[in-house]
Amino acid sequence: MSRLITLCYRKVIDAGSAHPWDKLVFEDTYQEFRMQAQYFNQEKKYRTFGQLLQHAPGAEQLHFLVSAAVRGYLQQLNGLVPDILDNLGRHFLRFSKFQFEIINSDVLDKSRHQVAVNFYSEPLRWHDTVGSYLLVSDAQASGPELLTNMFQLQPYLIIHSLQTAD
Amino acid sequence: MERKHFLKSLLVGAVSAPALLTACGKESEEVTPSTGSTGTGTTGSGSCAVAPTETEGPFPTKAPASYVRSDITDGRTGYPLTVKINVTNTNNSCAALAGALVDIWHCDRDGNYSEYGGTGMQSTNYQALHFLRGRQTTNSNGQVTFTSIFPGWYSGRATHIHVHIYSASGQSLKVTQIAFPEGTGSAVAAVNGYSKGMTGYTSNSSDNVFSDGVSLELATVTGNTTSGFELSITFGVPA
Repeated sequence: MSRLITLCYRKVIDAGSAHPWDKLVFEDTYQEFRMQAQYFNQEKKYRTFGQLLQHAPGAEQLHFLVSAAVRGYLQQLNGLVPDILDNLGRHFLRFSKFQFEIINSDVLDKSRHQVAVNFYSEPLRWHDTVGSYLLVSDAQASGPELLTNMFQLQPYLIIHSLQTAD
Repeated sequence: MERKHFLKSLLVGAVSAPALLTACGKESEEVTPSTGSTGTGTTGSGSCAVAPTETEGPFPTKAPASYVRSDITDGRTGYPLTVKINVTNTNNSCAALAGALVDIWHCDRDGNYSEYGGTGMQSTNYQALHFLRGRQTTNSNGQVTFTSIFPGWYSGRATHIHVHIYSASGQSLKVTQIAFPEGTGSAVAAVNGYSKGMTGYTSNSSDNVFSDGVSLELATVTGNTTSGFELSITFGVPA
């Protein structure tokens, strides 16, 4: 019994992130957060994202407003989810949908800025589980022989949706 | 003597063979496809997963926020509107302020803003564009120009465009809104709320943002529905 699944990878980026892409996202989302947060904080009463969410009406829009800073970097990934590898050590997971979120931030302390990009994968057909590996193929693929791939579930990666049509 | 030693080694080999077979058997058991449930082994503690083994790249390059563009139409239909905003420095005899960042955003012809989620937080296609939001940097004349469409209206508000002006480093200098002239002969009257009409429209005098006077926020709007409209306004900011 094969099932169609989509995966969600929540990539958390903070001051400790070391890769160039992550660092650019960290810097630019912090700058954008500091700019956009001022709209909801015109009396400069709050300094953290948590305070803004709690006290400033409309501050939840900051997730969307700051997401503009990350869109250019998503384009640069060429449609492949970062970090998630198949068992050959290659990036293989395709995505078209994302959701950006601010986890924490502080207009005065960059080290407290922490964001996440949630990547939602294109559908995969899940055929079987081999050891700790999921055996999957492209959801569109059909025919007597399917090309398959194998990968492992890992922290921050989940099966996000399940479709049991057949 | 030598033969005896050879036989002995054979015997040792025979004894150890089952142990080897057992080990092999155990290993092959681990790669036997299990049906139904997911594996019970360690699921990706990181240390047992393969490392990336690919050619380096693509190399990330600095990318501006997707607001940075002059044409903010993004496929939204409506009467063309050119928005020209001049920024002056009230701390410098109202001289033109170059290098300031100007954000504008407004609703589409139906009165909707570009945003996903809000409190709902749903996902969005990464190639889909947010619409009718833009950011430009003022030129040496302190001016920015956007290409957009004439905004529609929604219940409770007069026609308006949101403006947020920042210093070059991103410090907020002014949050304001642009108001539109209204009444006979005005662009607002000509556009007539697109398909919606003007029944239930909130005029500037009843608008809770503009009702305290719009003298500093009222734009000059020229043009017509055939060739489009042009809006211009000047904002003084303390820079």
